Amino acid sequence: MVRDGRPDLTTMIPTTMTSTLDKLYAILRRDLLTAVRHRSGFVVTLVGVFTELAAFYFLSRAIGPGFRPGGLEYFPFLLVGTGVYTFFVMSAQAFLSAVQEAQQTGTLEVLMTTSTAPAQLIILSSVSAFAGNLVNLLVYLFAGVAIFRASVHANFFSCAAVLIFSLAIALALGIAAATLQVAFQKGSALLWLLSSGLWFLSGTMFPIQSLPRPLELLARAVPLTYSIDGMRRALLEGQSVTAMAPTLAVLAEFGIVLLPLALAGLALSLRRARQDGTLSFY
Amino acid sequence: MDQVVFQSVRKIFRHRPALFNWLGSERGGETVALKDVSFSAARAEVLVLLGPNGSGKTTALKLISTMLLPDDGSVQVGGFDARRDAGEVRRQVGIAVAAERSFFPRLSARENLDFFAALDEVSRSEREQRVKEVLTDTGLEEQADTLVMKFSSGMYQRLGIARALVKRPSVLLLDEPTRSLDAATTAHFWATIRDLARQQTTVLLATHNFAEAAAVADRLLLLHRGELLADRPVDHGESAETLRTFYFRMTGEIDEAMGATHGAGRAP
Repeated sequence: MVRDGRPDLTTMIPTTMTSTLDKLYAILRRDLLTAVRHRSGFVVTLVGVFTELAAFYFLSRAIGPGFRPGGLEYFPFLLVGTGVYTFFVMSAQAFLSAVQEAQQTGTLEVLMTTSTAPAQLIILSSVSAFAGNLVNLLVYLFAGVAIFRASVHANFFSCAAVLIFSLAIALALGIAAATLQVAFQKGSALLWLLSSGLWFLSGTMFPIQSLPRPLELLARAVPLTYSIDGMRRALLEGQSVTAMAPTLAVLAEFGIVLLPLALAGLALSLRRARQDGTLSFY
Repeated sequence: MDQVVFQSVRKIFRHRPALFNWLGSERGGETVALKDVSFSAARAEVLVLLGPNGSGKTTALKLISTMLLPDDGSVQVGGFDARRDAGEVRRQVGIAVAAERSFFPRLSARENLDFFAALDEVSRSEREQRVKEVLTDTGLEEQADTLVMKFSSGMYQRLGIARALVKRPSVLLLDEPTRSLDAATTAHFWATIRDLARQQTTVLLATHNFAEAAAVADRLLLLHRGELLADRPVDHGESAETLRTFYFRMTGEIDEAMGATHGAGRAP
């Protein structure tokens, strides 16, 4: 189609794509409006970011400049580790909370009767939850550099690559939590396992090489370990995409395996909930 | 062709007690919500599902909307099977549920309707006009930009009806739609239902209100303990009292309100 002598791009984009983007926009807008109308929420987040960074800054000073895990200064090491870890956990938490709230109010049942397929709805909602926390991650990293003078040598392409590959894993995690919530009303259990059990295995605050050999091997089976390590090398050491290819390949493999598994589990749990009439149980 | 077909539908809810059930008194077992129920609704027909609490009215509506899946039998909407072609069924069905708070509290009425319309694939160019129309139809135009967390029960209920209408469904499912509405709004709503039927919308309405059934129904299904006791036409002009008498005769329940009235009027 041509309009005013120029091709009309809107007619060139397939209808399903337009519809999906329209739905994503509607979900992002809903979440943004809800967030800004919690008037004190943003201020509380900013205060939390500053307090956490201050604690890590003084912890690294107390430990002293002699401790350089992987040859990196300790404060930037902590900044990236805790930032990426928090991004993963808080994104999944935000998404899970949205599902739990929708169960409690009865919105979930109504959402499942719209023309949008349930799986598509859950994926788009999780994208929105992760987008919100991505902004928090960027604020966290920016504050660490700007206020606490963390030294970075960022390679932006590598950072973007790590983030994109990690997103698939984070999405799988969020969807898995939603699946457990719909199936057994126990999505919080998975997050508890993650937040309390895996943080020390993923190299968030110290290198995994410090762990005993069996735990180190276990840590290498945790996808978050590669996300944190990859982001440190991309942001703090400025390694190129080529140099980081092995790490990116591992992240891609985790994503390729975990995302379809999580989606299949979700489809199964939604079908079972419709059969048992437990969609709104919480 | 029938717009909605319910064929030998059986729905059972199984109760799985908690793992450490010996700590409490929760019971296992199952509840048969619908027992081999069959009926159909033609295009532009207003079908009222009448019955007491727990008779299976809401379960029937949820099965048509694809919120639930049947254990046996089949549910079809516009020729599509609710189990196999759930997506196609959802495109045709709009439902107003009894849960009043099934909205996003920090969005306004307009924003909520716009959000649900987007998920129902109403095009962006049409959405604003459609939302405006349903807000007017349900008498919410003055509260359109109020956050729904500030709404009363009746306003929530009207918004639920607006949400069901915004996609212009060919089948409209209403679960006790006037429960929290005042008399004037209820009368206006009943007129709206008759208008929708004239515009070729099939309406299935669950209620235990005889006046509502008499005001809107073309046909009445009487459900009792998951069984279909009666399927009969309703003459326009038929009174609520006639339906009430029919209900108690069919169910065998005792009409205590009438008994009290009769008792009060009786000479000592």
